[in-house]
Amino acid sequence: MKIIKTIIVDDERNAREEIKKLIRDYPEFEIVGEAKNADDAKEMIEQNEIDLIFLDIQMPEKSGFELLELLNHVPQVIFITAYDQYALKAFEVSAIDYLMKPVRVERFARAIDRFKSTDFGKGNERVFVKDGQRYHFIIWSKIYLIESMDNYARLYFDEKNVFLKSSLNQLEQKLDNTVFFRINRAQIVNLNFIKEVNSGEGGRLKLILNMGNSLEVSERQSVKLKKLLSN
Amino acid sequence: MKQLGKGNHNSLYWKCQLIGWSIASLYWLLSGVTFPGFSWSFAILQFITDVVIYILLTDLYRRLAIKCNLISLSPSGLLKWVIPAMFILALLYTGVTTLKLYLFKSWFDPQFTQTYTGYFRQNAELIFVGGARLMSIWLLAYHLYHYAQREIIVSRENAKLELISRETQLNNLSNQLNPHFLFNSLNSIKALIDESPVSARRAVDLLSDVLRAGLYNGSAHLIPIEEELDIVRDYLELEKMRFEERLCYKIESSGDLLNVSVPRLCIQTLTENAVKHGIAKRKGGGAISVCVKSKAGNLEIAVQNSGVLDEQLQNIGLGLKNLRERLFLKYQGRASFSIVQETPGDVLTVINIPIT
Repeated sequence: MKIIKTIIVDDERNAREEIKKLIRDYPEFEIVGEAKNADDAKEMIEQNEIDLIFLDIQMPEKSGFELLELLNHVPQVIFITAYDQYALKAFEVSAIDYLMKPVRVERFARAIDRFKSTDFGKGNERVFVKDGQRYHFIIWSKIYLIESMDNYARLYFDEKNVFLKSSLNQLEQKLDNTVFFRINRAQIVNLNFIKEVNSGEGGRLKLILNMGNSLEVSERQSVKLKKLLSN
Repeated sequence: MKQLGKGNHNSLYWKCQLIGWSIASLYWLLSGVTFPGFSWSFAILQFITDVVIYILLTDLYRRLAIKCNLISLSPSGLLKWVIPAMFILALLYTGVTTLKLYLFKSWFDPQFTQTYTGYFRQNAELIFVGGARLMSIWLLAYHLYHYAQREIIVSRENAKLELISRETQLNNLSNQLNPHFLFNSLNSIKALIDESPVSARRAVDLLSDVLRAGLYNGSAHLIPIEEELDIVRDYLELEKMRFEERLCYKIESSGDLLNVSVPRLCIQTLTENAVKHGIAKRKGGGAISVCVKSKAGNLEIAVQNSGVLDEQLQNIGLGLKNLRERLFLKYQGRASFSIVQETPGDVLTVINIPIT
């Protein structure tokens, strides 16, 4: 039996107790920790490999949504809210499910079923970004290009692009370096999206992506990339 | 929509005119069939002129009625106008009808040699009686139709107003209920049932009383401070069960003021607002103090909560806005409302109400 590591995030102790009681019926779920605010939760998520968060939306100082925006890899989320004004938003962000307090046993069971039926394995790591008024979960493997824009990183996926508050250096450290490669000071590319590699002047490589983007690799990185590609 | 409605009215009016006068003229035509010397061409000429003349005559009245706005008069006010109008219309009817009949007779009947005055004297009385009858029917139908239309519009508008006021009532109700508070309280009570059944039972009692106070929809806009403070006390005790160590509170009031009347839920609205900003939005929670005292002949209600005013002002709640409005309407400027940063960590909301 695969153990599913879970944390509960809610500012009210009673509310956390309630979720704990409900989880007790599912022995494969292990409660790794409880957090009473977004900052505590962030630390917990970054220090442990968490599979699922039970997340209250309305919390002091930072909301549940704001917590997710701070994470580079977002675990699966089941939102919990007392009142449905946030429910629609939660659906827009395609959470596994959202639950209303007080949570009914059968409703909780359905959320667990939904969680189990979704693929939360490797290659499906996601990031949570706010684009205007809407929130998106984006699977990292769908992102083909990351560009630095001041304090933000611009993520390109499908036909769209969104901003994430993170520097390229931070991202480079956190991303899977067998998939994402830093080609120059301002760009990281997803190797799975490279269509053509051409040699340019002075040993610099030129890349053409599936989407048609033409990118130039810096001299130093060209050497590394050649090595990486020849392996 | 309005334009369309008017068009519909107009086409209905002309249809009724045409059908009504055609039937009347047809009746006259058929009653002449058995007369000696009946001719179809003459009868049809009579028919057409009858319809045209009487439609023009009554339409003249309609134009005047619209111009003088007779349509919107009440039935009794209308009577003053309609009876003379009926006489005048009947006289006109008599005039045109005798003239028309006289002309036709002198054109088509070579043996007819009577003068118009003679013809008029001979026939006017009978024609006037018939005209009066026809014009009465016409006026009755015309004004009854408009009266009914007006009634329909009025009752429709009343229904709309009723609906709007119901909606407002319902909105007020759901604001008063404060769904976040309600569902979070229910959730805490659920947790308390296992952990501390005594507290859970207590919480159900408190929640019931707070809800009852919010649902109350009676006519008493003012209640004694004592009752208002009971609601606030229950509410804070319940929120304490939910926020636990994050909420500290105290309520102070001087005993001689307890019978003074205040607008319903005014202290409760301030307290709910204090909990929202001073406790729920702060990681570490905070303190709330409610203080009621008399000051220079006024009643001063002061609610203090931990927090920063700027953040608090950014989303000033509907409840607080409504309260401000209610105070203004109720005391016409003799009440005051203020919200200030009292100390760097505390926001103070004060209302002053004249003691009546």
